Amino acid sequence: MSNKKKILIVEDEPDLVETLGVFFRESGYETIAAYDGHEGFIKAEKDEPDLITLDISMPGESGVKMYRNLINSGKTKNIPVIIITAAPSELKGFIKRMKSFPDPAGYFEKPVDREELLTKVKDLIGA
Amino acid sequence: MAKKKADKQIFDAGRIHSEFFEMVPHMVAVVDRDYNIVAANRNFEEFFGPWRNKKCYAVYKKQGGPCADCPSFEIFKDGRRRVIDSVVVDKNGRPAHNVVRAVPVFNTGKKDVGYIIEMSSPVTDTSRLQQEVSILFDRVPCYITVIDSDYRIVRANEKFRESFGNVMGRHCYEVYKRRNKKCPNCPASKTFKDGKIHESEQSGIDKKGQDINYIVSTSPLKRGGGDVAHVIEISTDITRLKALEKDIIDAERLAAVGQTVAGLAHSIKNILMGLEGGKYMISLGLKKDDRDLIDKGSEMLDRNFNKTTSLVRDFLSFSKGRLPQLEMIDPNRLVVEIVDLYKDIARQSGIELKQVLSPKVKKAPLDPDAIHTCLTNLVSNAIDACQMAKQKGNEVIITVRDDRNTLIFEVTDNGAGMDYDIKKKIFTTFFTTKGGKGTGLGLLTSRKLVQEHGGRIVVKSQKNRGSLFRLEFPRQRLNYIYKEGRKGGDEEK
Repeated sequence: MSNKKKILIVEDEPDLVETLGVFFRESGYETIAAYDGHEGFIKAEKDEPDLITLDISMPGESGVKMYRNLINSGKTKNIPVIIITAAPSELKGFIKRMKSFPDPAGYFEKPVDREELLTKVKDLIGA
Repeated sequence: MAKKKADKQIFDAGRIHSEFFEMVPHMVAVVDRDYNIVAANRNFEEFFGPWRNKKCYAVYKKQGGPCADCPSFEIFKDGRRRVIDSVVVDKNGRPAHNVVRAVPVFNTGKKDVGYIIEMSSPVTDTSRLQQEVSILFDRVPCYITVIDSDYRIVRANEKFRESFGNVMGRHCYEVYKRRNKKCPNCPASKTFKDGKIHESEQSGIDKKGQDINYIVSTSPLKRGGGDVAHVIEISTDITRLKALEKDIIDAERLAAVGQTVAGLAHSIKNILMGLEGGKYMISLGLKKDDRDLIDKGSEMLDRNFNKTTSLVRDFLSFSKGRLPQLEMIDPNRLVVEIVDLYKDIARQSGIELKQVLSPKVKKAPLDPDAIHTCLTNLVSNAIDACQMAKQKGNEVIITVRDDRNTLIFEVTDNGAGMDYDIKKKIFTTFFTTKGGKGTGLGLLTSRKLVQEHGGRIVVKSQKNRGSLFRLEFPRQRLNYIYKEGRKGGDEEK
């Protein structure tokens, strides 16, 4: 059993999943990936990651829905979530629809600055 | 004494002829020199109320003294019969308009007039109607002309004269359009021929030289049961509406361009991330001497360079800010072509591709390449949606039809369908549910092409039930763009 911290990457763009995966693993984390909100939520409940990066617009179930499910589930509600959005307008829409929910742990806009993302991850769950 | 005797004479005469007196379909009264009504029939009493022992002015006008210039009284002087237009008051105090025929009754064997017989008939309704009709004719916010079979204007309303000047006796085509011969597709000539109402949209030139767009309706004016002697043309000026319509079409085109630019930025962002990711993987692989990472990075670069190429290609075809190249084509033909193209591909995936044609659909000015592209996009999307579906027995149906002067193409499938989030996104970004396969430009391109035709795309979809994409092309807009395109083409030459 590894004692590495586990990050769940939820993203529909395969290249970004790959890049983030390699990057996080290089930085000493373990990663798992999901390609839409439905798969993401199942993996979050099953694998209990330490942190989740979540894209908002994905085919199938969106990030908005998955975020709601995470908050509503006792098993996953305390996992920090970093939102990765494609556009500021998308983020605004997300915040508007999430009014009654706690804020996510962080926001990043694509293209993501990996070093800044790493700093945020370290702040949240340590190295 | 003599007067009383004479009164009795008249009264006796009335009695003798009482039947006739009552049968006359008018209001009849007999008046003497002192304004007394000495006899009246039932019609009169019903209209004016009680008259016995009353003066004529009290009964006719409900006033206290004789009228200032009583025309009847003149008859006592000159003995000549008269027809008088008179405003009277009925038994309920309502004013009415009567025509009164007054004839003298000479005293027996003498030349002086002893009595006047007055026969009144109400004209209130017809007179008011006449007034209404003439106001309507002149002031209704439409151009109204009556033309004879030589297409000469024999009557024109005030509104028409204001816009077109003095037009009496001139040919309608000369006045409306400054032409020297009859217009092609003249609705009036159809009405002359078949005696029916026809309508069409036309453009003309007013007396100031301004272009005018109008909808004209032509109705027959028949003489007896015979041929159409005249046609009445009623036109509504729609110049301002046309201008508004053009503004809307332009605004829609601009909006489409704006959305495209936003979408393009999004798409480029994704590609940049892929390129940057590939670069990262390669440099990491080099640093760690990890062949696998280098390969992965290089694949990623390849993939995103290819995406750039196809994006640029799609985008170039998408960004052509041009009017569609419209030609008159049979919409059914387009559907048949698409079905031929996709039948086999669909069948290989176990999907049935059906067409519902409509022989009644008239030819329409369409850009065949553009509509071909739209339908191709929609059908290939529908086939993909069927392949993604959980349920089996999938089919895609392409329908063409006309509905309320709007040409409609519909592509329906019973495939995967879309939920709310996806439905919202399909037109707003370079959004794709097809992973690396799609550029997310298909529907955007389709929408742009449809908007360039003045049309729109309607989407209905239910998750796990299927989707419907409807292309709606109002024919009036198609015709308008067709005309504009031809004008533009002439200028270019």
